[in-house]
Amino acid sequence: MIGVVLRRVASAMPVLLIVSLITFSLMRLIPGDPAAAIAGLAATPQMIAQIRADLGLDEPFLVQMASWYGNLLQGSLGRSILLGKPVVDATFERLPVTLGLSAYAMVLTLLIGLLSGIIAALRQNTMIDQIAMAFAMIGISLPSFFLGLLMIILFAVHLGWLPSGGYVPFWSDPWGWFRAMTMPAVSLAMLQAGLLARITRSTMLEVLRQDYIRTARAKGLPPRRVIFRHALANALIPITTVIGIIISLMISGSVVTEALFSLPGIGQLLTQAVLGRDYPMVQGGLLLVTALLVMVNILVDVAYALLDPRVRYE
Amino acid sequence: MQRFLGVAFAAATLAAGSAAAATFTCPRTGGDLVFGQEANINSLDQMTSNTISTRNIAMNMFESLMTRDENNNAIPELAESYEESADKLTYTFKLRQGVKFHNGKEMTSADVLASFDRYGRVGLFRSMFDQVEGWSAPDANTFVIRMKAPQPTFIELLSSFSVPVVIIPAELKDDPPQQLRTIGTGAFQLVEFVPGSHVRMRRYDGYKPNTRFEQRTGFGGYKVACLDTVTFRVVTEASARVAGLETGELQAVEDIPTKAAAAMRNNRNITLLPLENWWIQIALPNTAIAPTNDLNFRKAVQAALGMEDIMDAATDGNFRLNVGFQYPHQASFSDAGKETYNINDPAVAKRYLAQSSYKGEPVILLTNRDYPPMYNSALVMQQQLQAVGIKAELRVVDWPTSVQMSQKVNSTEFNFFFTGWGTQPALGALPTMQFFVAPGAQYRPRDDKDDPDVLALFREMNTLATEAERNQAFARMQKLVLERAYAFPFGALTKIQASRANVKGFVPFRIPRMANVWLEN
Repeated sequence: MIGVVLRRVASAMPVLLIVSLITFSLMRLIPGDPAAAIAGLAATPQMIAQIRADLGLDEPFLVQMASWYGNLLQGSLGRSILLGKPVVDATFERLPVTLGLSAYAMVLTLLIGLLSGIIAALRQNTMIDQIAMAFAMIGISLPSFFLGLLMIILFAVHLGWLPSGGYVPFWSDPWGWFRAMTMPAVSLAMLQAGLLARITRSTMLEVLRQDYIRTARAKGLPPRRVIFRHALANALIPITTVIGIIISLMISGSVVTEALFSLPGIGQLLTQAVLGRDYPMVQGGLLLVTALLVMVNILVDVAYALLDPRVRYE
Repeated sequence: MQRFLGVAFAAATLAAGSAAAATFTCPRTGGDLVFGQEANINSLDQMTSNTISTRNIAMNMFESLMTRDENNNAIPELAESYEESADKLTYTFKLRQGVKFHNGKEMTSADVLASFDRYGRVGLFRSMFDQVEGWSAPDANTFVIRMKAPQPTFIELLSSFSVPVVIIPAELKDDPPQQLRTIGTGAFQLVEFVPGSHVRMRRYDGYKPNTRFEQRTGFGGYKVACLDTVTFRVVTEASARVAGLETGELQAVEDIPTKAAAAMRNNRNITLLPLENWWIQIALPNTAIAPTNDLNFRKAVQAALGMEDIMDAATDGNFRLNVGFQYPHQASFSDAGKETYNINDPAVAKRYLAQSSYKGEPVILLTNRDYPPMYNSALVMQQQLQAVGIKAELRVVDWPTSVQMSQKVNSTEFNFFFTGWGTQPALGALPTMQFFVAPGAQYRPRDDKDDPDVLALFREMNTLATEAERNQAFARMQKLVLERAYAFPFGALTKIQASRANVKGFVPFRIPRMANVWLEN
């Protein structure tokens, strides 16, 4: 097992290096710079040139690159130009919002997606199957932005049950956090739950047709044991792959949800950084997010190894 | 002989005083007002940020020596008075006594001096000190600025709210750019700033109102914090701001979409607050390249434009047709050059086009989607130009990209750049017309070399002795700029703010002013 983890960690290093190189180069290749964001709408060229000089943005590309990688080797991701604080601090301030949102949405996704997928497979071609898959299709088709707006109008404006936006830290007010995050989590989860339900259904149907399931039934095992011990355990391997992808999609998809519900998460941070050409923030923030996603993938690999002994023997 | 320059100040005081017989007192105190702000806040360093989002909040906590009143006149704020020497080379400011910073320390001239030192080092608009020889603090209540040469517009520049020289405690003078600690002398003090989420401020109990006035006026006047706390919450989505206002989670918001405003008109719990003249919607030609380097071509474009259609699309109907670069309520307003505005005559346009060197090549309209009014106005202008035979094409990029493209000398990437001028026209004619002179004159002359006629008139605007003379110079410069088609100002955009009906004293201005605002019930 340790060998699996070490191999995955080692293979992640080139990924991080390539991501950092691409990010650094792309940010310098696209026109525009942070001076325009600082100077505002009424920026004059003189003002922008002055800010560029103040920030050292008029240095050559290679000098800036050497400086950034030099700092990186010393463990520093630099300082955000627009926020005026270390990139690591800015990222870790926002991370709990996005991770909390993603975790809440993930729980909903698993509950809705797995259950409806399993039930639909067990009741194939019945009304239950059709209803479950119809909901899954709606979840996949409905943009999270639109769903979020509908929920705001219904649950915030008309019913007044939930706040229309804003963030409450979990540690200061857990109930407030739960209320503030419910609509964003549902709007984020619906797409993924629909996807997971369809994958779970098709995987379960395939497994349920296998010989060992027929054997298990033939030897008189109770249906619950057949389903959970034999069918689901085997179906979980491809489902785990999908869950890994879903986690990545959730973190990247949170950009829209965070904007709609005014949540100060990573998505908002990086979007603003890109729009404002905050080079250190984009470079450092993306590197940290990439590291997070790599870690998720390693955890998925570990889950494979736990679920499937063949992986451990390879 | 020294001359006391208190005329404008006295007039402003009288004007403010006449609005109400007595000094303002809060009808009610207490409560938290949550304001939904459309843009993110990067920093509260008012010396190094020119963004509206920073100004919205920071100007409730910081103050400066001089500021502007409701009618944009320069008035003292932390200064008790000021004098200009007879040779116009020295400005002596007497400071108000007993003003305290949010850390409890009393403000002295040493703090003013340190603030000017920091601004001179990192302030965005430090070019205003180009004619300043130096400053000193001869005693604890006096601050003196010495000029290299007379500059009649210096007080106008110093009182600008664009990027003001806010006064901070001397010990903050070495704070790096964008990282100024938020300790000012304003009626509110910072509680917390959570980037991307909100800024919360509370009433500063040690605040000393400016007793020269009886009411709030512009950025200054007699200010009192009636509210316990004010929270500026970042709500970037317009629909979320509307929902927040309707549910009462937000007590006031900015930038309500026109359609939502129409639906809100019948809501008794909500008061709509249109803020006219928020900015001038404008397109600027790149005169360094063909065909926009040809006056006849630019006149053809001028003749083709119908401003109602452009402004209607740009603003969803929230606009006012406006000639030139100032607004009618301003003393400097002039309609000089009005014959060039809103011609909307395809026949005239085609005639000019035939006289020009235009050969049917693509004409690039550089715009962005970050600011929908800019994109929409470009879209309509494209149609109007195509209707007279100009092959107009849109180039849509994001805002920082369009700024950089537009500011490149001799750029070949665009013919027209779309933007909005908000703060500068509100500040007055001089900062607005600064856009038309090098470095970086906005009509992008070849090699950044000024049109000498434009430059000569701008010099007059700077150097003529009286305000009336300078305003006349502005009118001449506006006429020249419009006749040479160096700019295509479409009209004035109205921004709609809104508040819950129980919010009182909230009057739309260049920033949401939270002093003298209270909550009923």
